[in-house]
Amino acid sequence: MSRKPYVREVPKTTWFLKQSRYQHYMLHEISSIFVAIYTGILIVGLFRLAQGPEAWNGWLAAVTSPIGIVFHVLAFVFALLHTTSWFKAVPQAMRIQRGESFVPGNLIVGVHYGVWAAVSVVVLLLAGVA
Amino acid sequence: MSQRQIELEVLRYRPEMDDKPFFQTYQVPCEEEWVVLDALNYVKDEMDRTLSYRWSCHMFVCGSCGMVINGEPKLSCKAFLRDYKGKIRVEPLANFPIERDLVIVQDDFIEKLESVKPYIVAKQEKRVEDGEYLQTPAQLKAYKQYSMCINCLLCYSACPQYGLDEKFVGPAALALAHRYNMDSRDVGRSAREHVVASHDGIWACSFVGACSVVCPKDVDPAGAIQQTKFTSAVDYVTSFLPGGKR
Repeated sequence: MSRKPYVREVPKTTWFLKQSRYQHYMLHEISSIFVAIYTGILIVGLFRLAQGPEAWNGWLAAVTSPIGIVFHVLAFVFALLHTTSWFKAVPQAMRIQRGESFVPGNLIVGVHYGVWAAVSVVVLLLAGVA
Repeated sequence: MSQRQIELEVLRYRPEMDDKPFFQTYQVPCEEEWVVLDALNYVKDEMDRTLSYRWSCHMFVCGSCGMVINGEPKLSCKAFLRDYKGKIRVEPLANFPIERDLVIVQDDFIEKLESVKPYIVAKQEKRVEDGEYLQTPAQLKAYKQYSMCINCLLCYSACPQYGLDEKFVGPAALALAHRYNMDSRDVGRSAREHVVASHDGIWACSFVGACSVVCPKDVDPAGAIQQTKFTSAVDYVTSFLPGGKR
């Protein structure tokens, strides 16, 4: 008897709507766009600073405008999502064997959060906020 | 033992008479401690002999009875009816062609599995009388988790990357390549590299991580792939150093 396997096509653009697991993944991926734009804005800020007080003040005015603030709040939320979702995945990529056992995943994630907090405090101190 | 009437909605596809699959509903009198596979066996034995599906051990060891149950890839022998409320929908594993009813075509996976040389490539083959290849408990521990794979293909069903691009070598085959690469008795990493460290190998994985969530044996194929990416990236960088391959 001849075979007639049936192939089910996966929708190329809407596949991630099928499951909340895939939607979380997409959200995590989209968060990188906000992180990238924010990084771009910071780099532009550095160039403006190098160009003199007028250029710098113009950049400051732009980032503190209502649209600038809304973007920064959004970028902050996405940056948090980006960071926490990657930190959660670290133990899968980083497997540290000590003899016959492995360093617990929670410890690896915890160290990441600790370093994140320490770096944040240093940055805030340098910025004169804390 | 209490009985419960279950509405079992099964995707049917009979290639000799159907152009496309359709759902068929069975009302199955089930015992409370049954798993979905028991309900299917009841249908096959008592209601409809034409229903086709794969199964063997009924104890999460053989990896034959993978199906999509209420949208989630599961071993049907591990899917307890008591964990489901209302109608239970059973479909063949996603991302594979349907051969018949709940039976999928596995050829693509088998070819990919073979391509990663899922066996020990020894530095020097020993004769049986020369004894075992010795290994310490710590060396065993390094790969043991990845050796638990039972080729049930739930990970391929969960992987959107494999669904979108069938050239992707996929979670289980890459996890098994990692299993042998991590084995102290094996020297086959470079022989597997052209498949594993290729565009269609580890680098096609975008780390959705669904494979590891659905794996019934906690193999964590996504972790294996990310670890291989790290090793492969180090290989690439060191290849530029003096004495490197480039």
